[in-house]
Amino acid sequence: MQRDVKIETLIVMSMCVFVALAVTAFVVPFEDDNTRIFFVALAAVLVSINVAGFFMVWKASPTIIDEIFLMTPDGRLLKHYTRRLKPDQDDDILAGMLTAVQNFIKESFEEAGGRLKEIRFENYDIFISHSKSIVIAAIISTKKPEKLRIQMRLVTEDIEKHFGHKLTNWGGDKSDLVGVDIIMKKLLAGKYR
Amino acid sequence: MRSWMELKELLKKVVLLGDGAVGKTSLTARYVVNKFDDKYIATIGTKVSKKDMQLTKPNLIINLRMMIWDILGQKEYSKIRTASLSGAQGVILVGDLTRPETVKSLEAFWIPEIEAAVGKVPTVLVGNKCDLADKGSMAITVLESIGQNLEYPTFLASAKTGENVENAFATLGEMLVAEVVASRPKGAEELPQTLSEAVDFIIQDFCAQYGDLEKAMLIVQHQFEEAGVDIRKPSKDAVLQALEGLAKAEELSLTKTVAAVNLEERQRMVILAKG
Repeated sequence: MQRDVKIETLIVMSMCVFVALAVTAFVVPFEDDNTRIFFVALAAVLVSINVAGFFMVWKASPTIIDEIFLMTPDGRLLKHYTRRLKPDQDDDILAGMLTAVQNFIKESFEEAGGRLKEIRFENYDIFISHSKSIVIAAIISTKKPEKLRIQMRLVTEDIEKHFGHKLTNWGGDKSDLVGVDIIMKKLLAGKYR
Repeated sequence: MRSWMELKELLKKVVLLGDGAVGKTSLTARYVVNKFDDKYIATIGTKVSKKDMQLTKPNLIINLRMMIWDILGQKEYSKIRTASLSGAQGVILVGDLTRPETVKSLEAFWIPEIEAAVGKVPTVLVGNKCDLADKGSMAITVLESIGQNLEYPTFLASAKTGENVENAFATLGEMLVAEVVASRPKGAEELPQTLSEAVDFIIQDFCAQYGDLEKAMLIVQHQFEEAGVDIRKPSKDAVLQALEGLAKAEELSLTKTVAAVNLEERQRMVILAKG
């Protein structure tokens, strides 16, 4: 929300500056063309600066992840992080059902091969990243998922690298996952690498 | 030598299998946490529910969470079934005692299917609808014979009356944790001797049980500061005071019982430590 306000402010500023200078350049009766060109050029430069600022703010802002599930490929929930309290939601069962749905789709479209990578429902997008021993599913309600996709792939690779040997034929002991929180919280904050 | 109570959290995947309409879904209905409608079994072939249980062993408390996958019983849907069976660490095989063919198919179809998908895993056999079956019926004889041959615990149960349903889950739970219990060292762990060693041990133990290492260290740091514990030269009084704070944190993250057990053991360790 805060990010949206900043972007809107920049757009309004750009428009105001452009309008003020355009009015000055075209409405005020300057005696020579050089003065007029100066104001037009100034308007163009300031608008360019604002557009560049808008682009940089947009690029630097993280995609806000609403919920994230770290699971085994067989559907057991390893970790769950959320920005919203959902008392009616059972995270373990939801992770299991999400895996069951993936299995169903995979088997139904067997000839296509591959895995389910994205689900869209109303305003929500679910992005799914797979490796041999883990599955990460992130739910977002904002746009700009490209950076998130890259970060999810990096996180998946790093968790596989550090915990993969423990999670292959995992016995279910959650103490095997000490340290995974640090990686996942960086992803949740949009600051992973 | 004193013993130390350890807490383990285990997450296991269990599948419920058997022919269609033998009562798999009904068997679990009363004893598990359900969040999704049964119609999902017909639509996507699976419904997931869960059952939590706590098992107490010498020096060990195990919080076991069984994720129970109730899978469509129609034999034709083999691909969906194989995908759902993936990673299963325990199996409950269900037959209907009023339909002997469903019991025979446990041995003829379901057991080979499971072994092909996940190998030999802890399994219990359940003959459902025992309230409707005759005591000497062929279905019961066949079921018990399969159980004896394969050394699987066998239960004559009824989803309607609840008879033996809890026992079947509890037995599978015991089988699932047996490996963890067996892999622990036989002798009790030796405790630290000095107060500094005890403090170090307590910090490590608190962090391991809390799960979130980063947050656990912040809690330890806060409680030690509040109690005035000098980590280089701790005093027993200050450490004992800090333990109370750690126990309060554990009440929220674990359970009151576990927090109380931990507090008592840690207090005893500090009191008996040298220095």
